[in-house]
Amino acid sequence: MPVEAKLSHTAAMILQAIHAGYLYGFSIMSMTGLPSGTVYPAMRRLERDGLILSKWEQQSIADAEQRPPRKFYRITRAGRATLEAVYKRYPLLARMIPVPEVEHA
Amino acid sequence: MIHPSLEALPRVLIRAASLLVPGADRHEWTAEWSSELWHAQHGSEVGPGIPGAGITGTRAAILFSVGAVQDAFCLRVQTLRQDAANTYRAGSAARCGLILNLACSVGIVAFLALPGTRNTILPLPYRDAETLAVISSNGDTGMQAPSIRLADYQEWTSDTAGLFSQIAFYQPVAVHLHLTNRRTAALSLAIASGNLLEMLGINQSPIHAASTPALPRLVLSRSAWRRFYRADPSIVGHTARVAGQTVEIAGILPDSAWRLPGHVDGWLLEDPHGLEILPPTVRGFVVARIRSEAFPPPHAGWRSMEETRYGVESKYECGSLSFIAERPLLAFSCCLLLALLALPAITALSLGDYPLSREPLHRSLVARRWLFLAAKLLLTPAIAYFWTADLAFGSGVLSLSDASAVQAFASFLALLFGFRWVLQDQRRRCPVCLRLLSNPARVGQASCNFLGWSGIELICASGHGLLHIPELPTSWFDTQRWLCLDPSWLCLFSDPADTTPANVA
Repeated sequence: MPVEAKLSHTAAMILQAIHAGYLYGFSIMSMTGLPSGTVYPAMRRLERDGLILSKWEQQSIADAEQRPPRKFYRITRAGRATLEAVYKRYPLLARMIPVPEVEHA
Repeated sequence: MIHPSLEALPRVLIRAASLLVPGADRHEWTAEWSSELWHAQHGSEVGPGIPGAGITGTRAAILFSVGAVQDAFCLRVQTLRQDAANTYRAGSAARCGLILNLACSVGIVAFLALPGTRNTILPLPYRDAETLAVISSNGDTGMQAPSIRLADYQEWTSDTAGLFSQIAFYQPVAVHLHLTNRRTAALSLAIASGNLLEMLGINQSPIHAASTPALPRLVLSRSAWRRFYRADPSIVGHTARVAGQTVEIAGILPDSAWRLPGHVDGWLLEDPHGLEILPPTVRGFVVARIRSEAFPPPHAGWRSMEETRYGVESKYECGSLSFIAERPLLAFSCCLLLALLALPAITALSLGDYPLSREPLHRSLVARRWLFLAAKLLLTPAIAYFWTADLAFGSGVLSLSDASAVQAFASFLALLFGFRWVLQDQRRRCPVCLRLLSNPARVGQASCNFLGWSGIELICASGHGLLHIPELPTSWFDTQRWLCLDPSWLCLFSDPADTTPANVA
């Protein structure tokens, strides 16, 4: 797959973080230690390649908690398949950012 | 310690960076970054298994916001790349226009850079050029090689018969110019009557009178002056040895000042006695300032002149210098006309049949198609003119007549096949997106023409429609026909149309 071949270690880390349930850009930054100038552009490329999907949370939820709504990211089926292939290239990735047993939506 | 006034800086940075983001994405992009900044500053939860922790301090918030500038920049670059790929993909009208403009620009630059070509459009640098004529004993051929005997010129100087107000003679010869240190250089020289340059009225550079009246004056072209004397300005007034004769260098002339037949590097201005040394049978060019009223009306720039001397009738022709200078442009105009007349012999003039569909094309799309055709029709003659002029006149080796013939032949072919390409290219383009149609498929059999349609079918990769080209034109299908596809077909195409929803009325 051409996408697999192109996926850098940084992009793979971000994809794994999203897979592990870190749904927001800032939470991925905190988890991976990457700066915002790396995380957000990488997420845009992953979304362009169809490996992740973004969605805005409902306004009513944000209003109830008196905060602005957030945009969250989810891994797609193609993203999961890519990640499986990427594990062969970066074997420590899954251990570095482990996926909780109960997956977050 | 960060100054409190900088607390607003992160938000300002995000706002400023949002200007880099393409307009369609800007609102959502700003909302996401503003929201992320708010959550980062307020220390909301960061993920499963990690305690809630936000960035603390204005410095951290500024560093976080700097990422927005990088993100916006990446987004802009990505969009520009996509736009460029969409615009200049193979077969697009923009790419075709770019190539044509590039070809035209290269032709124009070469045209202006080469001295031989530039002179073909510049006006003659002579005073009252319309009254100047080159006298020839054998018509056009006399413009390429010397045809008038010196004896005839000398007769005309003594008796102009009311035909000329001034007359001058020159003979191009190859001589050796003796330079310093026993070096010599080959020089193409015009041995001319002393009044030649004065008669032409060249006032671009002063020609000095000889300090020693007995010496003939040598005027050098600027290129020869640079080549032989390394552009030494003090050389004027010095003497030189040319063909074993001592001459005085009287001035330097720009290369563009010489537009008469024959390529020369210098002019040796002799007084009448100096010319008498030459044999009377030697042939040269004669330039005269004619009295128009003494001649019959010109025919294609030529006036005939009959003269009877010693009982012998001689016929000469006077070729107008203005007409000769305009000849390349006139020849090109004739070729343009001929190419247009010959065009139907090599291709059909019809652009095809575009039947009305339920969703007719928007006027702007129709106008764009015609504008594209008009641009190609205008650029093709321009490219043909400049490139053929560069080919024919650029080297400066060919005589004016030979170069004009080469240009005429080359421009006729270029125009004929250029216009053919313009029409064929236009017929092979989608009327909506103007991209070249692709995937040709042969449909039907020619042997079954009366039972079913046969021909070639092409498709627009953006899904705008199909083009049917009949193999054998018939009374019911005589020309190619465009079949417009409605937007419901778009899902079948990998390269969906980007203009259909907005541009179809």
